[in-house]
Amino acid sequence: MLEIITSPISFFILLSLFFVGAVGSLLIRKDDDSANIWSNFFAIAGSLWGLLFSVTTIISERTVAFVVGGSPFPLLSLSFNIDLLSAFFIFIISLIALFCSIYAIGYVRHYYKKYHIGALGFFYNFFILGILLLLTASNGIFFLIGWEIMSVASFFAVIYDRKNQENVQAGFLYLVMTYIGTAFIVAAFLLLYKFTGSFDFETIKSDIALIPVGVKNIIFLSALIGFGVKAGIIPLHIWLPAAHPAAPSHISALMSGVMIKTGIFMMIRLFLDVLQPIPTWWGITVLIIGIVSSLLGVLYALTEHDIKRLLAYHSIENIGIILLGLGSALIFSSLSMPELALLSLVAALFHTLNHAIFKSLLFLGAGSVINQMHTRNMEEYGGLIKYMPQTAFFFLIGSMAISALPPFNGFFSEWLTFQSLFQGIAILDSSMRWLFILAVGALAFTGGLALACFVKAFGSIFLARPRSTEVTHAKESPSSMLFGMGALATLSFLFGIFSSQVTFLLEKIGQSFTIFQNMPATLLAENNQGLMVKNGFASVSGLAFTIFFAGVIMVVIFIIRSVVNKRQKIKIGATWDCGVDLTPRMEITSTGFASSIVLIFKGILKPSIQHEIEYHDSESRYLPKERTVVLGVSDVYQTYFYQPLHTLVNLLSLHTKKIQSGNINAYISYIFITLLIVLFITL
Amino acid sequence: MFKLFLKIYKTPSNIIASQNKDFDQADIVTVGEKIENKVKKLFRGSLAIRQIDAGSDNACEQELVALSNSFYDIERFGIHFVASPRHADMLLVTGPVTRNMAEAVKRAYEATPEPKIVVAVGDDAINGGIFKDSYAVLGGVNSVLPVNYQISGNPPTPKKILFSLLNILESLDEKPAILK
Repeated sequence: MLEIITSPISFFILLSLFFVGAVGSLLIRKDDDSANIWSNFFAIAGSLWGLLFSVTTIISERTVAFVVGGSPFPLLSLSFNIDLLSAFFIFIISLIALFCSIYAIGYVRHYYKKYHIGALGFFYNFFILGILLLLTASNGIFFLIGWEIMSVASFFAVIYDRKNQENVQAGFLYLVMTYIGTAFIVAAFLLLYKFTGSFDFETIKSDIALIPVGVKNIIFLSALIGFGVKAGIIPLHIWLPAAHPAAPSHISALMSGVMIKTGIFMMIRLFLDVLQPIPTWWGITVLIIGIVSSLLGVLYALTEHDIKRLLAYHSIENIGIILLGLGSALIFSSLSMPELALLSLVAALFHTLNHAIFKSLLFLGAGSVINQMHTRNMEEYGGLIKYMPQTAFFFLIGSMAISALPPFNGFFSEWLTFQSLFQGIAILDSSMRWLFILAVGALAFTGGLALACFVKAFGSIFLARPRSTEVTHAKESPSSMLFGMGALATLSFLFGIFSSQVTFLLEKIGQSFTIFQNMPATLLAENNQGLMVKNGFASVSGLAFTIFFAGVIMVVIFIIRSVVNKRQKIKIGATWDCGVDLTPRMEITSTGFASSIVLIFKGILKPSIQHEIEYHDSESRYLPKERTVVLGVSDVYQTYFYQPLHTLVNLLSLHTKKIQSGNINAYISYIFITLLIVLFITL
Repeated sequence: MFKLFLKIYKTPSNIIASQNKDFDQADIVTVGEKIENKVKKLFRGSLAIRQIDAGSDNACEQELVALSNSFYDIERFGIHFVASPRHADMLLVTGPVTRNMAEAVKRAYEATPEPKIVVAVGDDAINGGIFKDSYAVLGGVNSVLPVNYQISGNPPTPKKILFSLLNILESLDEKPAILK
């Protein structure tokens, strides 16, 4: 039975389910309803199959490697290698895609009659198919095919709502950044090919000693930039807050939950497996990028009042946290401390899984809200908890998980990341130790700011009074959307409670790496109650947390009910408003809530304020007609990095234009000169 | 709404007459000390009063303000005027209830925590006084609120108010049902 499920045939069934879903929905695109059902049915079926496939692969620890013969090109071999790491990422994509597809059945209805649902289903299924291909490809060129399917499909998903000009612009920014990334990836692969003579990862890995150190460093940098663009590390993140809001919410959830993780996946694959052994500064670089991304990501999130942009910036922050784990894993492995490296890797993988769950939950929740409100501006929400109580509850769970509050899953992976960093502080000496102390500080700070940010988000979306009349028309989402969110919220809780069991499996995945084989003992103690680092370093238990919190809440309720309120009569009345009717303008806005933190960091964020006053009589300037205040945060990357780059490229192109005269004789002379030079070199 | 009307109907009229034979001989300090004792007993040393202007001609307000000046200095007896009905034990309502202020008076009454004592100060507040039957007023305070005590006078002097407060406290001491 296990052989059947983990066989290549079964994998092809998985791919073909998504393929049929894609092509079929394109064929019946005229009929919105059936295209919706068709595409999401096959996506759900494929995801379920993917879950079964990946879980069986992980539990049976079986690596599936096979080559589909008959490739017409010599360098492209359709070779698959599904090891435990791939299976783990297949598990993530299947899990998230399953609930996103269920959610999508109800969600895409508001696109009916406006756009072809079939087209969305086509790109949606191809998007997942692309991710599956790139996760399993073991050939560089084949990998790039999967990578491009994913990128192009997600590009079309971003510009799906094409009547809004902003979305199209965001799509093009995304496309440009993606191709810059792909260019660097191609450069890395070509360098690997030049020295090892193969695009196959297995061959590269065995011939890695042939690559000189300098070239290896260049490969590292290109791969870091290439995959970093997709992962959204700062300063390569600029496409992320533009593209995520533009896409339909279930696709944003997949993009943020899974697609950006493919960058992390390839970083783990290349740096921890293929390119081993590695110098220490690689790890230090990744760790510093992690620190910067996590801190700046959450700071920018605080300044946002567009709900999806806020979530997109939080993706950057969480990628930073994952990179903290990965960076310390790289440092430990280069210092030949495999136990610590494994601990850090488990932390990174666990956070990857957890972030996928709670971030897609939050994006789905945001989608439900936007669907009712028709705006992404949080300042126009307020009081939605009365109209959408279940959505609010699920969003709250997502917020608690992303703010790393126990007993939800985000807490446990951040705890594990903390532990690996603490281990670094305890073991490493002087300069390295300071780096780890810095990383711990950044992580703690990030957690605090993330909490502040989600207090702001939840408060201004769901609490207080409605800030616009639109809110009062809001209705609870249909059951398929609620199911998608509810299941993810439950998972977020379960992965917190059963964190020790999950990390045990993750450790097995980590141990399948060559560098972690022949390791005497691991640092994570086996413990059914909770997470525990060996030698009494630290331990935490999800179950104990839950019981403790439930107990505390029950005791507090009991005390209030039976002791404090025993002799008091409770009367519910209106809030005393000093005779003035309470209006939403008296509530604190999300901008107001964040402003004190923004002002503290004004050196980095560079907030701007612009007043415009129009007077009834511009001569006297006594009676203002209307006032406008524009608050903004200046984009330092745009001004100091991308703008100069843009000017430089423009300047270079202007100079290049000179040789393109349009005169055919000139072009012939160019060909002639080139020919002469080539002949000169070869002869 | 109905409950409020029922309560208004049920609350007996309790006018503290202006011609009281003890009144002329009374000394402010002795009255004050008696008040202090009662306040200590009934309100643990602090009686918080919120004054509501229901459309008054400000005569009563002048007299109430005089209670706080250095001559009467009502605060030394444990009585103080507060800024919000949320903090008040007692509401002092002055003036006839004008149509525009009726809603505000009701809201302030709603916002006062139980148990609460409503005192109408001045003849205007008792039945409309000189504004009685005007199209702009609804009548005395008891047309919108259940009034426990009424202090007559147009306007009552500060001394009279002080003395009436003592009477009110004494009557509360005898009939503590209102404070439940």
